Amino acid sequence: METDRLFDESYERGLLQGGTTCCPGCGGPLFWRMALDVLGPKTIAYGDGPCAMCALSNVKVPFFGLHFSFVADGSTGIVAALAAKGRGDITVVSSAGDGAIGDISFGKVSAAAERNENMIQVCVDNEAYMNTGIQKSGLTPFGAWTTTTPLGKGSPKKRIPMIIAQHGVPYVATVSVAYPRDLKAKIRKAKGIRGFRYIHTVMPCPTGWRFNPAKSVEVVRLGVQTWAWPLYEVEDGVLRLTLKPKQRPVEEYLRTQGRFRRLSQEQIEFIQRQVDAERRRLLKFDGKSIIH
Amino acid sequence: MEFTRMMEGNEAAAWAAKLSRVEVIPAYPITPQTELISHIASMIARGEMKAQYIKVEGEHTAMAAACGASAAGARVFTASSSQGICFMEEALWMPPGRRLPIVMCMVNRSIAPLGSLRPDHNDSLLQRDTGWIQLYCENSQEVLDTIIQAYRIGEDRRVYLPVAVCYDGYFVSATATPTTVPDQEDVDAFLPPYEHEMYSLMPEDYRRPAFPLNIAQARHGVQQAMERAKGVVEEVDREYAKRFGRGYDGLLEEYACDDAEAVLVTMGSMTGTARDVIDEMRAEGKLIGLVKLRGFRPFPTEELREMAKKYHAIGIVDRNTSYGSAGGGIVAIEAARALYPMDDRSLLLDFHVGLGGSDITMRQVRYMADRVLEALEKGKVEKEVEWVELLDLGEVM
Repeated sequence: METDRLFDESYERGLLQGGTTCCPGCGGPLFWRMALDVLGPKTIAYGDGPCAMCALSNVKVPFFGLHFSFVADGSTGIVAALAAKGRGDITVVSSAGDGAIGDISFGKVSAAAERNENMIQVCVDNEAYMNTGIQKSGLTPFGAWTTTTPLGKGSPKKRIPMIIAQHGVPYVATVSVAYPRDLKAKIRKAKGIRGFRYIHTVMPCPTGWRFNPAKSVEVVRLGVQTWAWPLYEVEDGVLRLTLKPKQRPVEEYLRTQGRFRRLSQEQIEFIQRQVDAERRRLLKFDGKSIIH
Repeated sequence: MEFTRMMEGNEAAAWAAKLSRVEVIPAYPITPQTELISHIASMIARGEMKAQYIKVEGEHTAMAAACGASAAGARVFTASSSQGICFMEEALWMPPGRRLPIVMCMVNRSIAPLGSLRPDHNDSLLQRDTGWIQLYCENSQEVLDTIIQAYRIGEDRRVYLPVAVCYDGYFVSATATPTTVPDQEDVDAFLPPYEHEMYSLMPEDYRRPAFPLNIAQARHGVQQAMERAKGVVEEVDREYAKRFGRGYDGLLEEYACDDAEAVLVTMGSMTGTARDVIDEMRAEGKLIGLVKLRGFRPFPTEELREMAKKYHAIGIVDRNTSYGSAGGGIVAIEAARALYPMDDRSLLLDFHVGLGGSDITMRQVRYMADRVLEALEKGKVEKEVEWVELLDLGEVM
């Protein structure tokens, strides 16, 4: 009974309603519950597109959306309306998936970053078009199976957070639902900054990645521990690794997911070299400006 | 203070946006709309206009930002042309379905390929099914007056639809005609601040229309709003005329139509040329008049039917093409549907002219008017659709 009471209280306090249409094990509800804990009720959420929307349409704050291909644009209008009305007290958070941000609306996100629109843009990255049935996006990693890359994707993942950082925006961060303290701290920091802030979150997807839904948090935690998903922030151009875990072999992460089942030993070694190179680059620039 | 001077259509539109106290303007430049937004940018830079001008990276974003701002309670204005309107298409479906009363100038320009920087009406007519009210203007004064009216129409609780104010690039956008700019106080008295009953995104007052479970019902709601808009367009125009001394007869204007037996139907800037030709012909005793179609959406079906009881031959001037259509241009197809249920149907002729922005000459108008009178005389139509520009009519008059 005591746990029931605690649960009810927490549920009442939280800004995410239950009953989402998310798949079991989706990271969406986890992310939005934690994000909204920090953002608070004076928030307007904007976004659309299936995986980005499943959790978003259940938020208890004002919400507006148009369609999947509309990223950072309607929220630009909301930001302008708030400026016209002198409502600087409201935070605008805009959400989209990896396909929307990396592919079809890449230009829109880039333009909003260039204009330094006063919003938090979130990328919920489950590394493919999942709601349409697992199709490859620009953010699908090398070697991953999808229904449009049945033999595995041949090109690497677009490095969107770094590309956004190169726009010279005030804040960029990568987060993972497996590290709530880190996630909340970054969103808290983002909330306190004016201008374009970009949060790139990994979105564990049992449906598309092919793993047991009960293992979501473990899988993405391994992503961080193997440095396949490094956690960092770029504040005013200065890179800072917020977590430097002892590196585990990337194969451990890859083996948790059916989408990497067909990888050859050679391909796994190639991915390991890529991860190592990225890790070295990040460590080299840790604490330094990456904007030239 | 009210004043009158020579003014291009684009500048008149900028004045109208200022007088309407628009709050957010997301816009992307494209010829021939560019002077309009640069006028607005200058007004804002000089501190004469207080609005958020978002210099977006494309028209798709312009309309999306317009939707966000409108839903968040701001009065929104934008403008585009031709390729820009095509690029915006996906977004143009959003404001009617979401019932957002955005006003947009569609500065008509023909679409590539086989187009130019000059106007025909395919760019705006392409959007006829999206649920935008479409009003076509003849000169700078009408552009200015129609934009102010458009906010009253779109923001009326019986309507809540976006309004496109369409005018020909170059012929209207860049041609100076005498224009009276009304006093701000008078406009304020005519146009109250924007308030949307269905929407607020403010956390303390959040409301928005529920997602429709029955989509047909929601779409029918837009259709009903469009039907109600017919009356609202007339009503707003009448009130505007009373207050400012200028009116446009709502959706459709009859010119020199007393005892006429046949009419030419025009849209946009060509109407000015047609007025002169019809004046000449009336002086010659010919029984032909002119009908200016101001509203294409909602289409003035009832008015057209009333008209068809008086005029036995109707010639439609279509500055657009619809390849492989049932017969002729888009306006003619609409008119045919409107007239079909009548017992005693008028003769209907269609003319393609002014495509790709070529000039519509007085000689061409005369030719079309003559064909309509000829059909009236013979009691039958010999050629349903004619491409007037393919004919050698001699020197330009």
